[in-house]
Amino acid sequence: MRPSPITLRRAARQIFFSSSTLRAAAPAPIAGRSLSTTTGSDCTCGNGSGRPRQIQHSQKLQQQQKQQQRSSYHSYDHPSSPASFTPVEESILSAAYLHVPAHGFTSSALAAGARDAGYLDISPTILPEGAFTLIRYHLVKQREGLAARARELFGGEGHVGAYKPGGLSEREIKGRVEALMWERLMGNREVIGRWQEALAIMAQPSYVPPALKELALLSDEILFLAGDSSVDPSWYTKRASLSTIYAAAELFMTNDHSPEFMDTRAFLNRRLREVNEVGGVFRNLREWVGFTATAGVNVLRSKGVRI
Amino acid sequence: MELPRPARRDLEVGRFSRTGARSRLRSGPVFHSASAHLPRAHSLTALTLNSTRATSGHALIQHGRAKRAITVIMLRPATRPALAATRQVRQCAARFLSSPASPDTSSSHVNNPSTTPNKTNPTSPPPNSKSSSTSSKGRKPLTAEQREFLSSALRVNQAGELAATLIYTGQTPPLVTRDPSLRPLMKHMYDQEAAHLRTFNDLIYRHRVRPTALYPLWSVMATGLGWGTAMLGKEAAMACTEAVETEIGGHYNAQIRRLLEIVNEWEAEGYEVGAEFRDLLNTLRRIRDEELEHLDHAVEHDAQKAEPHWLLTGVIRAGCRGAIWVSERV
Repeated sequence: MRPSPITLRRAARQIFFSSSTLRAAAPAPIAGRSLSTTTGSDCTCGNGSGRPRQIQHSQKLQQQQKQQQRSSYHSYDHPSSPASFTPVEESILSAAYLHVPAHGFTSSALAAGARDAGYLDISPTILPEGAFTLIRYHLVKQREGLAARARELFGGEGHVGAYKPGGLSEREIKGRVEALMWERLMGNREVIGRWQEALAIMAQPSYVPPALKELALLSDEILFLAGDSSVDPSWYTKRASLSTIYAAAELFMTNDHSPEFMDTRAFLNRRLREVNEVGGVFRNLREWVGFTATAGVNVLRSKGVRI
Repeated sequence: MELPRPARRDLEVGRFSRTGARSRLRSGPVFHSASAHLPRAHSLTALTLNSTRATSGHALIQHGRAKRAITVIMLRPATRPALAATRQVRQCAARFLSSPASPDTSSSHVNNPSTTPNKTNPTSPPPNSKSSSTSSKGRKPLTAEQREFLSSALRVNQAGELAATLIYTGQTPPLVTRDPSLRPLMKHMYDQEAAHLRTFNDLIYRHRVRPTALYPLWSVMATGLGWGTAMLGKEAAMACTEAVETEIGGHYNAQIRRLLEIVNEWEAEGYEVGAEFRDLLNTLRRIRDEELEHLDHAVEHDAQKAEPHWLLTGVIRAGCRGAIWVSERV
């Protein structure tokens, strides 16, 4: 008996969905079913029945995380869940991360990681962004590790939120910013041989926004941990200049073969000094304009103009 | 009793229309007409307020029925006792707000004025909470929407206080040259606004909220507004203060209402509420009261004699609302 066009269409849709679930685009129930058939056909895996639910759960969590990343209020008494990746993703990615020096930020590293974590080679396809997820994992983990590094570097004050605004001098803050940026750059040391590839992937149009978002979060984190409490327009300029410097230093570092990355350190220091100089010029200019305006108003007042 | 009634929608929509506000200014028995619209439980509060009206000029309840919320705004206090009466009215409103799930208990609150709304235990547990006894459920993480609200609230508050400080900075020199007796008042109001700005700067830094991107624009506009109205004369300057503080008072009340909703929701579900939130609520309440005090001062200093008062306050209030709308987003 020939199948009717409708059943054919339904079957085609099934096939389409079962391939696209691997990109996490399909509705959750279908995703679960199609993946369970995949895992069920393979008898080497032990607990194939439990996994689809985990995967559905991970998709839901991913959506929540995306929402959480967008908003910014940081609560100390009612913190949102700190996990940036779901447990499944975490296990795959942390195992895959160890393969990065050998395989680069590629799907083969992900597959090797999945195998190490006890999943099928194909399971990294649940990661919506493929190899970029591995890059994001690196960025997020390094950023989240900065708080602990700040605690080590600056003593107990590194605890998030323990700073009192205005408690640190300008010079101290600059020193801390420099130290934290250096710490973050050193976080790339293990994967520096592969970092050019990663930068190339991040420069792909669809990955530019999340990569820039991560860069913005990083400079925000550095300035917060350094205790910079400015909440005027310099909030924006500081983050922008820090992001630029960090991106430039990172690029420089990929070609740096000096011992202990001495050249990168010198590069970083030069860039930070330049920003200070430019900032100083702007500050002086503003001060001069303000002074002249006030003086002008006062001269007019002394002439009897009622302003 | 059929004196000019405020339009019914004024009571329900939760915002004054200009004509409504003016008709209320003329008409005495606002409360009678207001309480006529209120359901039984609410009219209890209205009646209590009614007794204070005799001394307080025209204190007014604005009743948003859907949200069960009350905004109290003072219009034209006649004398000094008005302040005390306003405070009483505000406390009453806060008490009413603190137990929105059970409006019937508001009478007991009224009889017992010593209960403050800031206490941790709700005196009247919401009827639908079986789990309120198990208050050791820990703390609930904020949802994305709540975080969004809190960041935009802190951002707009910082922008508002920045603008307020600059308005007073701009107003002070021309005003004080004309009338040196205003110096202590202007200094008092400026000092309070500067303290508010410091509070919000700290909060914004602590909670890692992005400050408004239009900071320079607000700075210029606020200085211009302050200086410009002061150049128009003392009455115009005070009308400016009146308009701004009216908007700000209502704005803070809306925030407090929303925060209380969140807190009440947590309490009803049996979660703990962190000190961070109680502090934020108390800070907002204190600042709201101080802003409304500025409103009183402005009205005492002939704000209503500005010509044309309706145009000045109307334009400034519309500008304030627009600035609040933008600052919440950008």
